Amino acid sequence: MNGLSRWMVRLYPREWRERYEEEFLEMLEERTVSFPGCLDIALGALDAWMRPQIVSSGGMTRMLERLRWSVLGVLWGWVLFVLAGVGFQKMTEYDDFVQVAQRNFLVRSAFDAIVAGAWLSFAAILIGGLPIVFVALKSAFTQRRREVMLLFLVPPLSLGAFVGYVLLLTRIVYPAEGRMTIHSSPNIALFSSIVAVFVLAAVASTAAVCRAVTHAAVGENLYRFAFYPAVLAAGAMCVGLISVVVWGVALKVQAPALFGGDGGILATSTAATWLSVVLGMALSTGLAAVAIIRGFSPRAASRTTDT
Amino acid sequence: MSEGVSDLGRFSDPGLFVLMSLAAGEKHGYAIMEDIEEVCRVKLGPGTLYGAIARLESRELIEPVLSEGRRKPYRLTAAGEAALTGRLKELESFTRVGLGRLATA
Repeated sequence: MNGLSRWMVRLYPREWRERYEEEFLEMLEERTVSFPGCLDIALGALDAWMRPQIVSSGGMTRMLERLRWSVLGVLWGWVLFVLAGVGFQKMTEYDDFVQVAQRNFLVRSAFDAIVAGAWLSFAAILIGGLPIVFVALKSAFTQRRREVMLLFLVPPLSLGAFVGYVLLLTRIVYPAEGRMTIHSSPNIALFSSIVAVFVLAAVASTAAVCRAVTHAAVGENLYRFAFYPAVLAAGAMCVGLISVVVWGVALKVQAPALFGGDGGILATSTAATWLSVVLGMALSTGLAAVAIIRGFSPRAASRTTDT
Repeated sequence: MSEGVSDLGRFSDPGLFVLMSLAAGEKHGYAIMEDIEEVCRVKLGPGTLYGAIARLESRELIEPVLSEGRRKPYRLTAAGEAALTGRLKELESFTRVGLGRLATA
């Protein structure tokens, strides 16, 4: 009957299962469920459908969920920020931009501030995120939760897939194609495919890690701790965003030909690439800022509970 | 405050049993079920137990205690303690009057 009773949990509404399924299944594992027990589960499911308001996201649980949403929201924002930042890095790695930065103090300072903000936010994400990942992995191993462990395999597999794809293109496809002009269709298609695989790998990795830590047993204290680095990361992202804006404006003033030229990604407009980067960074920083603002509320509540 | 327990419909008694069980300290679902069987001599089904837990939690009479494991322990809130106290006093008064009437019958 236990297999049946476990299956019957699916009869409950989604909201109920999100809140109680894990502990409910844990309880069912510890005792033999008789036929009347199965009937009781069916009646419980019917009751949950008829009175959905009984499912509470209650005090501490709500607090944990909001805090977790906040920390993971900053992580998502940071990953999107990095994707935009990679575009910026790709554009500015060429000699024209390096030389302008060497000649002009404001352009160089803005670029240095972007790099500093990137490293600071990376360090903050590591400081806040590694303890959560460690505890989630540890609990997944001790509880033998294969689904959580498999989710943690997604980032290395994604990285492997991306590296493998780039190697395939650079070692086999590009040499086979011979010389291609930058604006040729094959070149644009291949470059776009690299970008697509990179974005897909980053998004899949982030989604997998978020899902894993959400389903693993990670306590409130770790999220409360991670909130401080998350604030730092969001602040560093703000610095990075402002610096990219300053960099673009300074470039427009100091090197108008380069700013108005086709120094952007795939030899497109520099200004358009810069604007795309600014837009991407603004959206990701906005996401992180919203997550932080939402996170402040449960922190205040938990301090009240502690006293 | 006793209305917090007695107006739970068919979950009033299970709700009272859960509060009673948690009065001895925090417990997870299975431990609550075992404790109720031992103390109250009542076997609650899983659906009934979690119907009661969900109602008590939504009324903030009990709250989950965050833990590292899959098991989620619960504990009484201050409102839950007050509700349990009020309900037990009602039952005490009811019992006293009933026993008194039987004695004089």
